[in-house]
Parts: sequence; C-alpha cells; structure tokens
Amino acid sequence: MTPHQERTGPGAVPAQAAFLPAPEGTKKAVTDFLKTLMDQGGLDALLVPVEVPDTPFHAWVMVKKSEVLDKAHPLPPVMSVQGGRALSSLTKHGTPWLHIAAVMRPCEARAAVELAKLKQVRLDNVVLITIDCPGALPLAEYVADPEKGQERYKTVADTWHENEFLRPACARCHRFSLTGLEDGPSEGPAPDDAPASVDIHIGLLGEDQNGILLLPVTPSGAEILKKTGLEADRPTAGWESRVRDLLKKKKEKRQAAHEEFRKDITGLDRFLTVFDPCINCHNCMNVCPVCYCQQCYFDTQTQFCTSSVYMDRARKRGALRFPPDPLLFHLGRMSHMVLSCVSCGACEDACPVSIPVGKVFSWVADETQPAFGYSAGTDRGDPLPLQNFLKEEFCEIETPSACGQAQSTEVKENA
Amino acid sequence: MSDAYNPRIVGFLCNWCAYTGADLAGVSRARVSSSLHAIRVMCSGRIDPLYVIMAYLKGADGVMGMGCHPGDCHYLKGNYNARRRFVMLESIFKTLGLDGKRIGLWWVSASEGKRFAQVTNEFTELMKTKGPNPFREEMFI
Amino acid sequence: MPKALKMDVEASQGVKNFLKHLLESGKVKGVFALKKMNDSGAVSYSLITSVEELASAEPLMPLMPENAGQALSRLTVKEALKEPVAAVLRPCELRAFTELVKRVQGSEDNLLLISPICAGVFPLSSATDGSWEKQMASYAESSREGKIHPGVRKMCQACTSFIPGRADITVAFAGRKDTGSSCHLILDTPRGEEFAQGAPGTPETVEKEPAELAPLREARAARRSEVFKEIDVQGQKGLIKTFAPCLGCHGCMHVCPICHCVLCVFDSKMYELQPWSIESEPESKGGIRVPSGTLFFHLGRMAHMAVSCVNCGMCSDVCPVNIPVSEVFSMVGDQLQKVFEYVPGRDVEESVPSGTYKEDEFAGIGEQ
Ligand code: SF4
Ligand code: SF4
Ligand code: SF4
Ligand code: SF4
Ligand code: SF4
Ligand code: FES
Repeated sequence: MTPHQERTGPGAVPAQAAFLPAPEGTKKAVTDFLKTLMDQGGLDALLVPVEVPDTPFHAWVMVKKSEVLDKAHPLPPVMSVQGGRALSSLTKHGTPWLHIAAVMRPCEARAAVELAKLKQVRLDNVVLITIDCPGALPLAEYVADPEKGQERYKTVADTWHENEFLRPACARCHRFSLTGLEDGPSEGPAPDDAPASVDIHIGLLGEDQNGILLLPVTPSGAEILKKTGLEADRPTAGWESRVRDLLKKKKEKRQAAHEEFRKDITGLDRFLTVFDPCINCHNCMNVCPVCYCQQCYFDTQTQFCTSSVYMDRARKRGALRFPPDPLLFHLGRMSHMVLSCVSCGACEDACPVSIPVGKVFSWVADETQPAFGYSAGTDRGDPLPLQNFLKEEFCEIETPSACGQAQSTEVKENA
Repeated sequence: MSDAYNPRIVGFLCNWCAYTGADLAGVSRARVSSSLHAIRVMCSGRIDPLYVIMAYLKGADGVMGMGCHPGDCHYLKGNYNARRRFVMLESIFKTLGLDGKRIGLWWVSASEGKRFAQVTNEFTELMKTKGPNPFREEMFI
Repeated sequence: MPKALKMDVEASQGVKNFLKHLLESGKVKGVFALKKMNDSGAVSYSLITSVEELASAEPLMPLMPENAGQALSRLTVKEALKEPVAAVLRPCELRAFTELVKRVQGSEDNLLLISPICAGVFPLSSATDGSWEKQMASYAESSREGKIHPGVRKMCQACTSFIPGRADITVAFAGRKDTGSSCHLILDTPRGEEFAQGAPGTPETVEKEPAELAPLREARAARRSEVFKEIDVQGQKGLIKTFAPCLGCHGCMHVCPICHCVLCVFDSKMYELQPWSIESEPESKGGIRVPSGTLFFHLGRMAHMAVSCVNCGMCSDVCPVNIPVSEVFSMVGDQLQKVFEYVPGRDVEESVPSGTYKEDEFAGIGEQ
C-alpha cells in the first residue's frame, strides 16, 4: 500500500481502485458486483432498490438471496423513499447478527450518517456504498407518465447533470459523487480522526467508460473488496479530475441558484408567501430522512387553541387562516433539522402543492452549516453542531460580548 | 403424513372459554391439529383487527378467533364487538379480492373441548385444500 | 317544500352577500369559509371576523385545500364556540365534521352550517398551476346543466352524496339553471330560518332535489362504478401493484378527516420492523421491503376508518405518487357501510359501527 492509499477521511480519494468491465452496461456491472459482494464479501444481506414486479417502481429491499439482485437497480429513475429512511427502519432496533451493505445515492448515504449521529441508524454492521449519481427525475412527473420518465432517464444517465429533466434538487447538487470530495483535500493526508462517510464508492465517471471503478474508501471497504478477489490496481486520478471538473460547474450552478433565490425570497413577507399554499399535510416532514421523531411536535395538539383564542386571533387581523401558522411549522422544523439537511429534495418531491420546500431548506442549510464548520453527512466523526460547543465561539452575538475571554476548549457532548 | 403440507394457523383464543376448551380437548385426548399456534387473549374483544391483518400479511395460512358464545362473555360485550370486527374484516377481504375464508371467528365455550378440536381440525383441512398463503413469499408487502 | 331565500345575484355572490349580512347584523361573530390570501392569492379556509376581509372570501370556490371538517374540528375540539359562527363547507366536509363530532373531536354548538349542492372541486394540482381558474367558466356551465365537469377530482365525478344532508342552509347550486343570475338558499332547519330572517332577498319555496338532478345522480353513480373498475386492486397482485410506489409518507392519513388520532398507531413504535422479523421473513421471500408494512398500513387504516369514509378525495389528492387511495377506500367503505347499514355523517346521534352492536345481528358468525 502506498501512503496515498492509506489516507481515509472526507475528501480523501484512494489512489487506486478496482475496475470491473461493463460490457452490458453499468447497471449490470454494478448488480454483478453486488452479487459478488453477497457471495464472497462475507455479507449477509444487501439493502438496495429492487423493481416491484409489473410496475415501473422500485422499493428498498433488504435482499437475502442473490437472485433477487437481478431486479435490483442501484440508481432508479426517481428517489421514492429516501435511502437513509430505509436504512433507519432496518437498523434502528438493531440487527447485530447481520452484516449488511447498503447501496445508496450520495445524499441518501449522507442522511444515513446524520441518522447514525441521531441514533436512528446503526452503522456498526453496515457497509455503506455510494455511487456516482447522475441525478433523479421529479417524482410527480415520473408517476404521471412512467414510460416517458424512463425514456427521459436514459438521457439523464448519458448527459450527466447537463440535463433539463433533472429534479431541481439534483440540478443544483454538487455532492453527487464521493462524499467529502467537494470540500476535502485533493492531496495530502486528511486528519486521522475524520472518518469518511462511506466505505466503498462506485465510480461511473472513470476514463474507461467500458467499466466501473470500485474505490476502497475505508480500510473495511478495502478489506471487503479484497475478499471478493478484486484487485485495486487502476489509478483513480482520471476519475477524480473528471468528478472535480463537474463538481466545480455544479457548485457554481448551485451558488447562482441560491443567489437568485435569495433575491426572490428575502424578507419575511416574501418568505411567507412561498408557504402560503401549504396545506399542512406534513408530507415534507414525513419523507425527510433527518426528521426522525416518532411524534413530531407539530403533529401534537399543543398547537391547538381554544375557540375563544382562535376568535381573538381572527379579530386582531380580521381573519385567521386555517390551519393557522404554516410558517411556524416550517421555521420550527427548520430550526430542528436544517443543520442536518442533506439537500436530497425528498421533501419537495412529496409536496402535493409544489412548494419548493427543498430549495428553501437546502439554501438555509448551505448558509448555516458552514457557520458551524459542519457539512451534514460528510464526516461520521464530526458531532452534530448542536450537541457540541466551544466556549469561545459565536461571542459576537453576546451582549456584552465575551470575545477573546474564554479558553479554547472544545466540549463534546454525546460524542 | 410427515411430508403432507401442514398449514400454519394463528389462533387468538379467549382466556375464559376457548383457551380452557383447548385444555379440555387436550385432557380428554381429542386429536387436535398441530397446525394451530394458539395465542391467549383475555377476551375475543381483545382481538385487534390489526392482529388478524398482520398475521395474514406475514403469511399465516389461516387466522382463527375464538370467543365465548353470545351472552357468555366475561366482559359482557367483548364477543359482540369481536363479531362486528370479523364481519368488517371479511367485508374488506371480499371487496379487495383477498381470501376471506382464511380468517374466521368461532364460539367455543370452556366445556366444548370436542367442538374446539372439531372446528380447529375442520379449519386445518380447509386450509390444506387452499395451500400456502401466497403472502408468505411476498417481498413487497 | 322547504322554504328558501332567493337573491337576484350570481350564486356565490349571493352566499357572500348573505354572509356579509350575518356578520354586519351581528347575528354571527365570525364566518368560516374559503378565502384568498391577500398577498399570494393562495386559497385556504379562514375564520373571518371583519367585513373587509370577507371581501376576499370565496365561499363556493371549487377547491379543497383541507377537508373543512378537519379544520372545524381544530377550531372547536378544545372548546365549543362561545359565539355564533357561520361555516360554509361542502357536503363531504360536513359529513366528515359530523363524524368527528360523534368522536368527540369537535362541537356543533353555535355553528350555522351552510353547504352547497355540490358540483365538485378541482384537484390540488390544478390549484398549484392555476389551471382551475381557466376552467371556471366551463365548470359553472356544466354545473348549471347538471353535468359532470371532467376537470374535477375523480372522487367528485364519482360522488353520489352531493346534496348536503344536515346543513342548516343548503345552497342550491349544482343542477340549477339559474345560478348565473340568482341564488337560492334553502332553509333546512328552524335555525337556518332564524338566521335568514331579515336577510336581503325574497322568500320562496324550492324543491331541494328537483327532478332535474336525477340525471346528474345517475351519471355520478355510473362514473362511480367505472372508477371502481378502473382501479386494479384485486387480490394480492393488485394490492401490491397499486401500493408499489407508496412512500409511507402517511399524507393520506394525515389529511383524512376521519383519521384524527394524535399519534396514529402506524406512526408509533408498535409496528416498526423488529430484529426477529428481519431475520425470519427473508427466509421464504428472499428479501423484505423497507420501510416495511406498506400494505399493513393501508389495510389497517381501512379497518380503522373506512366504515366512516366520506369519499372526500383528500387522500388521493395529497398522495405524491398518485395512488388512488380514495378510490380504494371508498370502494371498501361502500361495502362496509352496506353491511352495517351505516351512512357516515347522516346523523350526529347515530353511533359509529365499531362503537356499538346488537345482540341479535350477524347470527351465523361464530356458530359454524
Ligand atoms: S441530490 Fe445529488 S446525490 Fe441526491 S439524487 Fe440528486 S444528484 Fe444524486
Ligand atoms: S429538508 Fe428536504 S432536502 Fe433537506 S434533508 Fe430533509 S428532505 Fe432532504
Ligand atoms: S408537503 Fe407541502 S403542503 Fe405539505 S406540509 Fe410540506 S410544504 Fe406544506
Ligand atoms: S399519501 Fe400516497 S405515498 Fe403517502 S402513505 Fe399515502 S398512499 Fe403512500
Ligand atoms: S389509521 Fe387508525 S390509528 Fe391511524 S390515524 Fe387513522 S384511525 Fe387513527
Ligand atoms: S371473555 Fe370470552 S369473549 Fe369476552
């Protein structure tokens, strides 16, 4: 092993990867790899989307028998259930005797990492595998006409993010590849205490388009690859530079989109009207992977008032909409989870009245996470910002300001 | 006999009647189908329709509810409620084209050991003719 | 023939004038109706207390952002109204509210219930893209002619309970030829008459279900059986196919007015996937779907509430993957309601089938 290969951590790319030819297309190559994993990788089960017979839909299945993998699709045309949620339902109550590999889109794996920090996913026995993601189609459009969707999706896989059919979250997604690459180092060692978020990454953007790259990102990922008899002997530099090129473009796109949106939405009044059509169904919250609470505060009757209070509130303005305060729900939800938002877009996919929930949340996420030096789902070892504090940080918001007075001691709770 | 298909039947038995009736069947050495997996409930009124649905979807070949005869319920009306619930379940099954014959409710008193054996055996035979519940193999429930 | 109040204006304007009169005269202290929001033009139910705000009310606007039964429950569940409020809601919403009141989830005290003979509402999606507004003219026309408008929700096209059963005041709308120029408020109850006293308009007598409505009822009934045939939900295969894309978002449950539980059992810990299932189930299946329990949720929810399903269509409308939830639940509900001789929302005193029994019913069950 070269020192370069030993690096682990967000943004660290193994110098070499295994190569698997894909004469019958990448989908087949990936499922073949998954089969090998199951048969030889010492794994008991695989979590992967599988086609529901006679339908154009895929559902997450924990696969125990490898022939089921014939119908698996690691990159289905739409994101139905966010993979983080699927993994949570599988591992939440523990499956200590099962060694599982989960194959996900990068934003789903990031959600899984966030959920692990929130103790809603157990990663101890899980091998996380991500895959270069060309993006997904808007759910509503796909269910309205799956045939057209499937045609369109073919072009998505060909054009790699330069595609008009992508859903908005994917159109502005720059974390479509190995997580951490977007901010992490291209050279030099990453800090030892910064574990990567995934174990194996499947590269589809390699130079040799006739095959897929299998990147051993963590030592355990490397070990599993070794067990399958695949030799990590292909340089990854070409893949990395292609990814970084695309990443740069997408980052610019993302910033431009945020900028435009900021102009559009700034000010409470404008912000309010975005959520005006909200019908309070809470679909956005229910499909959000990081909104995990069994009983959401906003679903309880603590929100309900007596009729006299409602009448009084109506009198103040002449009218009171029902249900009252949609904004309270959205801002409240935001304050609960935006530091863990992975910009997956599941929320806006599920909104029946097409509110750009994901746009709002991922914009706020991009504004707030960096303030905490945090990037949701990137680093398994990085504690959640609100479970962690430095005595001397954010002194500028205090009155009187205590800047420069406290000792620089990091306090990690729950870490 | 050993290689013959042996259905798996989940039974929810009222503590005060059918469960005791099952005991009596045992004591009096009646032959009772080994297909039945009995779950004791305090009253047939405690058989949550969700239990029946869950057992069925998870692949039980048949689901039996058993309670006290009308008028005999320890809690006076639990079995009347149970009756309505099974009527409801059967209607739902029928409308959705599911096999409603795989679920049912029987009144079996504490002294009816023989009846217990008889209805259990009959139901087992019926389930044998039907074969396994296809939901047992269904991945996408 | 029931008494009515006739106004010589277009129907929804008539309702608005009537509400204005009620509010101005102090007969009611508030109006509960659909209203356009001032800034965005989005529509929601609102509790309106001032005449100025009433100007942007749209009581008969064919949209249902929330089942009003659910909204009224929120308004009255913690405390019955202390002051009179007039509420305008559609027949299925009124039925839903009645079902909720039965379940002690609201109170009708001090409510004046106004409901139209209903021509249906447009799906939420057409509210989002604004396409319903373009269809308003044709909507009014087919309503006048007693025809089904092709743009309204599927469940509205298939709704045969479009005449409100227990409103205080019924707005004669669908099937009336003259709604473009006149508004008839049918005063169904003494309460309705009392509130209408002194309101502008001329007294008349009006038939509530005139013969002209018969073709609409028939067309809707025919559409209903068609819709039930269109959904392929028969047997294991049909169910799996129908619910294949289900996200488990539980939006259908959330917007269902009958599903009022604060913590739905299917959102609780009770039926979450447990390690032993994870180990045993895949043995025979080769794998298990996660999150698990998709069909269990739908069949279970059916067992909980389908007998009270009011066919409002909210669930289908809110489903992000277009599952015909309401169609399935209505189909099951129809049969259940037949079996139990129950009509949801018919009578607030009538108990819910699961809350009652007769000793001498369903005699065959249990005896076999
Ligand atoms: S948000 Fe990014 S990672 Fe997620 S599906 Fe879209 S492109 Fe893929
Ligand atoms: S808020 Fe939306 S974009 Fe962010 S993690 Fe939740 S579902 Fe994904
Ligand atoms: S999914 Fe859309 S309508 Fe539903 S609560 Fe969220 S923003 Fe509101
Ligand atoms: S609204 Fe649709 S996707 Fe959501 S739980 Fe109901 S059926 Fe499933
Ligand atoms: S499905 Fe059942 S438990 Fe859930 S809200 Fe509806 S009635 Fe309540
Ligand atoms: S106690 Fe036996 S059925 Fe109620």
